[in-house]
Amino acid sequence: MKELFPAKQVMGFVFSLILTAIALLVYFLDLSFTAGLTILVVTAFIQALLQLVVFMHAGETKDKWAIYGNVYFMILIAMITIFGTLFLFVWDM
Amino acid sequence: MNLEHSQPLEYSTKQNDLNIFGFWIFLGAEIMLFATLFTSYFVLENRTGSGPAGSEIFEITPVLIETLLLLTSSFVIGLGIHAMRLGKTKAMISFFAITLLLGLGFLSFEIFEFVHYVHVGAGIQTSAFTASLLTTLGTHGAHVTFGLFWGTAIILQVKKRGLTPETANKSFIFSLYWHFLDVVWIFIFSFIYLKGMM
Amino acid sequence: MEFFERFAIPHPSPAIYASMVVIALTVVAIIAGLTYFKKWGYLWREWLTTVDHKRLGLMYIISAILMLFRGGVDAIMMRAQLATPDSKLLDAQHYNEIFTTHGVVMIMFMAMPFIFGFMNYIVPLQIGARDVAFPRLNAISFWLFFMGAMLFNISFVIGGSPDAGWTSYFPLAGTDFSESVGTNYYMIALQISGLGSLMTGINMITTILKMRAPGMTLMKMPMFTWSTLVANLIIVTVFPVLTVALAMGTMDRLFATNFFTSSNGGMDMLWANLFWVWGHPEVYILILPAFGIYSEIISTFSSKNLYGYTSMVASMVIISVLSCLVWAHHFFTMGQGAASNSFFSITTMAIAVPTGVKIFNWLFTMWKGKIRFTVPMLYSIGFIPLFTIGGVTGVMLAMSAADYQYHNTMFLVAHFHNTIIPGVVFAMLAGLTYYWPKMFGFMLNERIGKWTFWALSIGFVLAFFPMYITGLDGQARRMYTYSESTGFGPLNMLSFIGAGIMAIGFVLIVYNIYYSIRYAPRNIGSDPWDARTLEWATHTPVPEYNFAITPAVNSIEPFWDAKKKKHVLFPEPLKKIHMPNNSGMPFILSAIFFVWGFSFVFAIWPLLIISTLGIFACLACRSFENDHGHYISLEEIEETEEKLGGAKK
Repeated sequence: MKELFPAKQVMGFVFSLILTAIALLVYFLDLSFTAGLTILVVTAFIQALLQLVVFMHAGETKDKWAIYGNVYFMILIAMITIFGTLFLFVWDM
Repeated sequence: MNLEHSQPLEYSTKQNDLNIFGFWIFLGAEIMLFATLFTSYFVLENRTGSGPAGSEIFEITPVLIETLLLLTSSFVIGLGIHAMRLGKTKAMISFFAITLLLGLGFLSFEIFEFVHYVHVGAGIQTSAFTASLLTTLGTHGAHVTFGLFWGTAIILQVKKRGLTPETANKSFIFSLYWHFLDVVWIFIFSFIYLKGMM
Repeated sequence: MEFFERFAIPHPSPAIYASMVVIALTVVAIIAGLTYFKKWGYLWREWLTTVDHKRLGLMYIISAILMLFRGGVDAIMMRAQLATPDSKLLDAQHYNEIFTTHGVVMIMFMAMPFIFGFMNYIVPLQIGARDVAFPRLNAISFWLFFMGAMLFNISFVIGGSPDAGWTSYFPLAGTDFSESVGTNYYMIALQISGLGSLMTGINMITTILKMRAPGMTLMKMPMFTWSTLVANLIIVTVFPVLTVALAMGTMDRLFATNFFTSSNGGMDMLWANLFWVWGHPEVYILILPAFGIYSEIISTFSSKNLYGYTSMVASMVIISVLSCLVWAHHFFTMGQGAASNSFFSITTMAIAVPTGVKIFNWLFTMWKGKIRFTVPMLYSIGFIPLFTIGGVTGVMLAMSAADYQYHNTMFLVAHFHNTIIPGVVFAMLAGLTYYWPKMFGFMLNERIGKWTFWALSIGFVLAFFPMYITGLDGQARRMYTYSESTGFGPLNMLSFIGAGIMAIGFVLIVYNIYYSIRYAPRNIGSDPWDARTLEWATHTPVPEYNFAITPAVNSIEPFWDAKKKKHVLFPEPLKKIHMPNNSGMPFILSAIFFVWGFSFVFAIWPLLIISTLGIFACLACRSFENDHGHYISLEEIEETEEKLGGAKK
């Protein structure tokens, strides 16, 4: 039975629960917008990386450079799209 | 079909290897799909017209339950893949079934949430904000719904054919999909709900 | 009867009724012909169910050429209307419909499939693979594109053409100002074919990254393969953006949401934004593979290896990122501030640098080379100066302050035709001429080809350079007429003459194909151009399995090395070959998608639900299917090789 619950994945799950709890702080505490958003950005991206590495096994084959490269490229363009659009329509309008 | 025994079953044929790689590229496209939805949401979130704002309609309890259900399901399907690599078909099927049940629970809460929104006057036609909110959530929900059918098909195949290179490959790819949906939910949870209620 | 009223044309004309008759007659003729010659079985077995990348490539190219003529007729009608002031040839509504369909057809249903055709046909051969990574998915891609194109093309005889421009800006494209189903066609047809494009993107990236012949490292890939890789990376990146934008537009039109409306918080500018987040990288998706084809051709006909290979690759990778950083230059005049306009001006101008690097590399490749002035090479040489002019006017447009003068004038129209025609269209024609012997086993006539080149080049200059002048003088694009006092008349007449000469050029292509089928010699061998890369190392016609033995690669030009430096291309013994099975599923699935799209356009909900279920039924069938492909036995391979003139060494 024990072999069905590898320590790495159990730890990953516990860690993701902790990250969720930290993110929840912005709801329960009265933080400034900047502080709250910083917490959310940090916890969300760590959480995503955790899923990618621990659960999705992104780095287990010799194609890891292409898999990570593809994901990071998409995240880069995603960020460009989001912030470029906000730049146009919110911050510079 | 030249089997390589040094690798897990799901990578063991050339086509299997290609399938997994191709699915990663597809997940890249999914990142951009949700990024576009987020882009629209961030632009439109304060354009509520005569409808309600996010802080007026979001409720923490159902959202938190949905988050926990999906986080747990992502963990459980990870265990399913682990069991699969140990060759324990029965345990794997159980883990997959639990995953889908948790997914079903998530979906029920989300449907409940949608009914609530319509009830408080935040339907999809109300304002630009509600349109982009419900479209973003709905796209994720549609992915989960699709996943429920897909996962069921995979469980049936593993039951019928056992763990072959093909069924193992399909199961692994499905787990990638499911984890990815969890990642997307984390961003929805953080940047739509928590940011909106902050 | 009421049910059928929705299919009527809201703004009919004799020309449209005539088209209906012609379409009906053509369909009847095709069906009758297939039945009379008993070709239904052949069509189904050899083409509709094929998963062979070569056949799919050919079908892409044939569709693209058909669409080229459809879009070309639109273009001629526009130029004819504008040839004289106050012309009454077309009215405003028809003119709107024609410029809309011209743009959509040419970009989405001509240029894209033309490029996909070459990618499909050439890339697996260039990297020494047996097929693409996902042959069945490849067939789905093609049929989705095809059904999307057909859905779009029936719009003008059933329900009315879209008329809000190929960009379909809201609120014009919203239900308030575009009441007919035309814009629904636009949204749904592009959605379906866009889905196909995305699948091709995934397929090509996987193929190129995972299926190269042994020895072919990334930096030993041929330039066309590199350009395909980068273009498909951009496809996978930006097509989801279009998917979302189209979905939102569809919801606004059919479900009364408020994404892009002018009320309840809707933001019409967001459509333009998302459209160009996709739209600008889209032009690089078109031009990069074109650059790849030019690189192959220039290197072959200069009898030299490509100059600056590494910088070619680097500039394409830089373009792939920069192309996603410039989209706002399409709407400098929309009202955002100076800071963002300056930012997007600078990024736009920066793209000229990697593009310039490529231009110089081509020039240096030709430098001191033994140049052979064949038809493909003529197109490539014509491309360099003409495209550079288009690039320079692009840098003019990139300056946001000056753009207020050029925006939405004929200057812009001249600019983008100046990049797309010498850039993409010339590349497609050059590629068609270059690869024709590989595809069909005989060459296109060089003499007629040269006439075609000159007709197209001279016609192009006459048609589009006058627009730079009228544009700077203030002639707006998309205006269906102008008064005589503007003085635009003579230059527009010149444009019309140029368009006519171009039309002659395109007709000459068809004549050339006809002429060459009848008279061209068939004993040309498998390497008629004395080329350098792997696609020429196999037989002509290419056998089903491409290469009997997987080639061994030692450099960027393995085939050249095999010819000149005694490199051994096929060191291994023959083995049996695994190939995928044909399948009718892609065609059936896509046909259901056509019905799905049609019922969506006209909001026929029961049919929509049925077809949606049909789509999912197809997916379920596929999931439970057991298909392991088949093996071609050693004897069969030896027999085929013998028939094609002996095994390649």
